[in-house]
Amino acid sequence: MTERQKDLLQKFAALASLLGLIVIFSFTSDAFFTVGNGMTVALQVTSIAFLGIGATCVIITGGIDLSVGAILALAGVVAALAVKAGVPVPLAMLAGLLVGALCGLINGLCVTVLKLPPFIATLGMMLVARGVALQITDAKAIGGLGESFAELGNGSLWRVVNIGPDGFPDVVFVGIPYPVLLMVVLAVAVSILLNRATLGRHLYAVGSNMEAARLSGVNVQRVTLFAYVLSGLLAGLTGCVLMSRLVTAQPSEGLMYELDAIAAAVIGGTSLTGGVGTISGTVIGAFVIGILRNGLNMAGVSAFTQQILIGLVILLTVWIDQMRHRK
Amino acid sequence: MPPSAPDPVHAEPPSTAATAAVLLRLEGITKRFPGVLALDGVSLEVRRGEVHAVCGENGAGKSTLMKVISGQYPPDAGTLHYRGEVCQFRSPADSEAAGIAIIHQELNLVPHLSVAENIFLAREPRKGWLIDRAALRRNAQHCLDRLGLDIAPDVLVKTLSVAQQQMVEIAKALSLNAQVLIMDEPTSSLTESETEKLFAIIHELKRAGVGVVYISHRLDELAQIVDRVTVLRDGRYVSTDRFADTTVEQIVAKMVGRSLDDVFPRRSSVPTADVLLRVQGLTRQGVFHDVNFELRRGEILGFAGLMGAGRTEVARAIFGADPIDAGQVMLGEQRLAIHSPRDAVRHGLAYLSEDRKHDGLALKMTVAQNITLANMAAVSNRVGLIRFDKEQAAAARYIKALDIRTPSSGQIVRLLSGGNQQKLVISKWLFRESRVLFFDEPTRGIDVGAKYAIYQLLDELAGQGIGVVMISSELPEIMGMTDRVAVFHEGRLVTVLNTRDTSQEEVMHFASGRSIPSPV
Repeated sequence: MTERQKDLLQKFAALASLLGLIVIFSFTSDAFFTVGNGMTVALQVTSIAFLGIGATCVIITGGIDLSVGAILALAGVVAALAVKAGVPVPLAMLAGLLVGALCGLINGLCVTVLKLPPFIATLGMMLVARGVALQITDAKAIGGLGESFAELGNGSLWRVVNIGPDGFPDVVFVGIPYPVLLMVVLAVAVSILLNRATLGRHLYAVGSNMEAARLSGVNVQRVTLFAYVLSGLLAGLTGCVLMSRLVTAQPSEGLMYELDAIAAAVIGGTSLTGGVGTISGTVIGAFVIGILRNGLNMAGVSAFTQQILIGLVILLTVWIDQMRHRK
Repeated sequence: MPPSAPDPVHAEPPSTAATAAVLLRLEGITKRFPGVLALDGVSLEVRRGEVHAVCGENGAGKSTLMKVISGQYPPDAGTLHYRGEVCQFRSPADSEAAGIAIIHQELNLVPHLSVAENIFLAREPRKGWLIDRAALRRNAQHCLDRLGLDIAPDVLVKTLSVAQQQMVEIAKALSLNAQVLIMDEPTSSLTESETEKLFAIIHELKRAGVGVVYISHRLDELAQIVDRVTVLRDGRYVSTDRFADTTVEQIVAKMVGRSLDDVFPRRSSVPTADVLLRVQGLTRQGVFHDVNFELRRGEILGFAGLMGAGRTEVARAIFGADPIDAGQVMLGEQRLAIHSPRDAVRHGLAYLSEDRKHDGLALKMTVAQNITLANMAAVSNRVGLIRFDKEQAAAARYIKALDIRTPSSGQIVRLLSGGNQQKLVISKWLFRESRVLFFDEPTRGIDVGAKYAIYQLLDELAGQGIGVVMISSELPEIMGMTDRVAVFHEGRLVTVLNTRDTSQEEVMHFASGRSIPSPV
């Protein structure tokens, strides 16, 4: 095997393991490889993917964002409280997004202006945002948010339903859920940003060598700030989508989601030392995690065993990636 | 080492290097990296009590060869005989245990540990489970004394200067009582007196029967210690000669594959009279004070001075990388307000740092991406998306113009040699259409052939009307390339001399702070 072939093969290690998982689970459960379940998986993966896309941008700059799980909870409850206070749903959700972006901005300012290590800055935000979310809701779930609040998380495009002769609806096509649509649009947009926009190139440059980037005239502060704001904004979006799906706002929602996001990025080949990473990789990583969960669930594997397996998968894929980069 | 301290390993009577037993023999060593044949059938022989120099340009395979010896890289072909047996070391620890020590070009010390802890890292003397701190200190002191070093064993390594760290590294290697000692550019950051000390120690090691492999770009210093010299070129073995039977000129000719008539190209460019950059009263408290100079279009202005005289700091401050407390910078008739490198770049200033890896290049990115990094707008369309065709064209143009040796414009920069990396940094600033270049130690760590190419490039740039400031610690380079020299001493610009009318001695005179020579 030539070097080039080896490289290609290993480059698609994550994709190959994803396909492998699909094949295996198709055998363990008849219901796995169906359009309906495919959409279910895609829907479940959306939160990991939203957060993972943000995490990828932050990690490319050489940083880390531990606060997204808490930010999504805060953004979700803010949107819900706004609806309860009589604000129209779209505006309430916009408020949720803004809260997420604001938290990201504070993260970014702590990193760029106060020069705090990203790990510490976002660890602090993780505690603060979660605390605020619990405080303003008295740690209680907010229900009764109405049908329009549920639309974003539960609606879908091109859903085809025939009312059968017996009067029961007959679903011809489940449609493409809005969150899945959002995921595709975001993944494509951020991919273009990273690959083709100056800003994206600067993200890589900052992560590869911050001082070289600065001396080349890159506005390092602004670029870094952007990564954290994007991560916060996407966490806000995840919060709105999740709470809308549940039609309930839970201040304790999204625990440990930041780790799923980081895991998705890392499985997809993003380097924690910065300067390396792709959105396509991260989306594959998100699907690896999502399909593992879904397939193991359908095969009746306990949640604890699932955790063990996902942990092992992370170790394995990163090890393969390391082998690829070793001289 | 005094002869009264017998060492069982070195007990046999010292013989002349030429007839001594062979300690280490490499035959047909081949090492391939993706896309590069780093070593191609290289042979080398090190005898007891000899200093064997390995010479070659950057990228000739010297460091790779040393890493094969130490077990860091397994060879793809070839054999290694050590003390008469075929060996294959699996790791540096393996070869170290067998008696082969390496002093690396890059410093491999742990900054937050003390000197003593570094010297005996992973070999700490123990008392039961605990480290015997008294013995550690004593042994370390002994190592330092042997080198005549004035460094306390308890000091943290991070507080030492680079030269001191280099000496600690040497002390560490000597403490291994190695039979083969490999030194990769040990003198690159040492002062003259420190180098003298090192050579005295190498002579002692020779007498004790140690085989020394010595790698250095400073060919002029070889005469003092070297017995034989092996030349490598492009990963291939060229020759091995007794040093006494050859000359530095012959070695250089073998290294570059042709003879170098001159070290410096003839200056073809002539500076104009227009002032391009005028610096007035530039001050940064505690670093430099009241610096004034002018740079003309098409001129190469040298910044000479001792280490820490403030040359780099002045350049960085003008470029906006560090703040200033007073003074102004005029570009033509325009007074510049530079608060960050961004502002400087916008005005056509460029700063090429002395440490390319640390702050010149994005090593994980590709050749093309590095070239366009400072001028993304030129390869982007109206909405700010990069046009890869334009980027490729730009990269191809500079790869050709500056003769950058790379398999492709998509090559990761980390894998290029030092000279090619330097050309890449220059490309970046040429692509930015910079008008003023601050060039900090442009040829540090670059081999003879590439140096000449860089000098030629500087001359061409000046010929195009660019103003070049060349900061250099090598006086011959200053004398050979500049039109005028600004001499710095302890944060002050002492004087500006016409290069043609001055001498190395006069520049040194001002640089060392002696007042203006009184007329006789």
